[in-house]
Amino acid sequence: MTQVLLSLSDVEKHFGRVKAVDGVSLDIVENEFFALLGASGSGKTTLLRMLAGFELPTGGQIVLDGKDVSQVPPNRRPVNLMFQSYALFPHMSVARNIAYGLEMEGLPRREITARVGEILEVIQLAPLANRKPDQLSGGQRQRVALARALVKRPRLLLLDEPLGALDKKLRGEMQLELKRIQAEFGITFIVVTHDQEEALVMADRIAILKDGRLLQAGTPREIYEYPETRYAADFIGQMNFIPVTRTGGLLFARNGARIGGVIPAEAPESLVAAVRPERLYLDAEAENVVTGTVRSIAYLGLDLHLHLDTPLCDQPLMVRLTADAAEGRDITEGAQVTLGWSARDTRVFPA
Amino acid sequence: MSPVKDRKPLYLMTPALAWLTAFMVVPCLLILALAFFRRGIYGGVEYVFTLENLAMVVDPLYARIFLKSAGIAGLAAGIAVVVGYAAAYAIAAMPRHRQPALLFFAVLPFWSNYLIRTYAWIVLLNREGLIVHLFRWFGYEGELPQMLYTETAVVIGLVYNYLPFVILACYAPLSRLNPEVAEASHDLGASQWTTFRRITLPMTVPGIAAGFVFVFVLSIGNFVTPALLGGGQFQMIGNLVYAQFLTANDWPFGAALSMALIAVMMVLLTAQTFASERASGQRGRDA
Repeated sequence: MTQVLLSLSDVEKHFGRVKAVDGVSLDIVENEFFALLGASGSGKTTLLRMLAGFELPTGGQIVLDGKDVSQVPPNRRPVNLMFQSYALFPHMSVARNIAYGLEMEGLPRREITARVGEILEVIQLAPLANRKPDQLSGGQRQRVALARALVKRPRLLLLDEPLGALDKKLRGEMQLELKRIQAEFGITFIVVTHDQEEALVMADRIAILKDGRLLQAGTPREIYEYPETRYAADFIGQMNFIPVTRTGGLLFARNGARIGGVIPAEAPESLVAAVRPERLYLDAEAENVVTGTVRSIAYLGLDLHLHLDTPLCDQPLMVRLTADAAEGRDITEGAQVTLGWSARDTRVFPA
Repeated sequence: MSPVKDRKPLYLMTPALAWLTAFMVVPCLLILALAFFRRGIYGGVEYVFTLENLAMVVDPLYARIFLKSAGIAGLAAGIAVVVGYAAAYAIAAMPRHRQPALLFFAVLPFWSNYLIRTYAWIVLLNREGLIVHLFRWFGYEGELPQMLYTETAVVIGLVYNYLPFVILACYAPLSRLNPEVAEASHDLGASQWTTFRRITLPMTVPGIAAGFVFVFVLSIGNFVTPALLGGGQFQMIGNLVYAQFLTANDWPFGAALSMALIAVMMVLLTAQTFASERASGQRGRDA
């Protein structure tokens, strides 16, 4: 069993009457790459700031390495934070920025120089060691901020929207780069992000936050395939929601069609059935079948995205077909298409 | 820069430039030119070239007044910077929406006349003034030192008058600081004090320098405050210039003193401009 590094129990942060973080309990293990995922205002940044020590919890406990650090100030925690704005010191060179945290530890100059040199190699910025932050590109600044936090070899590295300020192409590269560095250093990373794709790509486990509460925590696959709430299902990836009514153990769409799916225990009568666009395929023999009219088509090479008007719901059904599957079929705007999906790909939530 | 350099609307500056040239630069040059002529026997100016006036400026008698003025101006500027920086720091730390009101209060004294504000200090500091009464009211019966008509009174008056400039000058860089930068320092292991010393203070040096030079330059040439609060007990260089033009009737020497004073100010202002350009000029030098 892997060692628990960080344990949150019932952590709360209230600002006056606003509950920014409301009873979050969570265990994070050594060497984990963990993502806190949520929309703005979900409390993810407040939670991160409590882990760094910039906010003190109004309730609950934060235990790191077996010690309660809830009330420990930031400069006395073996935790470092990479700020969203990078927060580099503009009047110091790259090397001085990175050395700063080590100087605060009172390390001998020789060791500081060695460790700064070492990390500059890792982030491939050694030739720019004497530049000031203003003379660096956005991607370079991001790497300096990362190095400045990493060089202290914290038990826990917090990253606040680490890739938020980068352009799309660079973001993709840095996602993999961050994973490589995390593995190389063997440090536990907690990343705050609002970008679900980023979380899915990078994290070993993801926690979804909403209104200060922890909705669900699990591996990317668990979160994507088995969302426990309608919010989580909607927040991660794309999802079709079909309003259904429960009669006994059966579900019926508003046009009377039966929808096969697993009904949660103690479900109310009014429910929604959810299915991912990629789980629909061209098959009239499937457990769940629907015929609709193609409203729009987006051709993306590898696959085909359709919007389909169906009698099941007001929203057009989103469908993702592989290029293979669509080959040779008459799929054009206005065409009638029959699609099916299996009952085990259907998730059911309270409406 | 690219060859298609955008043409800045320089002509918009013409009225201001013309005004300043006609009514400030030209008269100033005319006065300064007097420094190179001989003083007439009964006052007035004899148009004979001489360097005597300038030589007299460095005479120990006058040089001492120069140094004394610089000392007082330096002291006033130093105190104003410490007090003003602290006030600016406190204002910048307040919630954003409160800051404009606080800044307004800080500059409020400027809405009244300089002379009236200086006279107000006479009321406060004189032998039967408010401060003496306050001491008596608290039961202090002993002898109080002379406050009005001392060097201390002059420094107090100068600090008081120019403090708002310093607050504004220091507030500008303090309010632009990204709070995450100080947090990053704290996060990396620095105490609050170390963070201030190594991060906040160095990042706001341009404001401090601007505030200091501003107070110094305005103080060293000031003649109203020394005249009213110093009570003619001692002269600052401004009073000396004033006396040459208005009582001694020695315009050439007055002009020579003014020239020296302006030279000192120019050197300081230029140095400060370069220093702050260096501090902020790193931005985008070669991105």
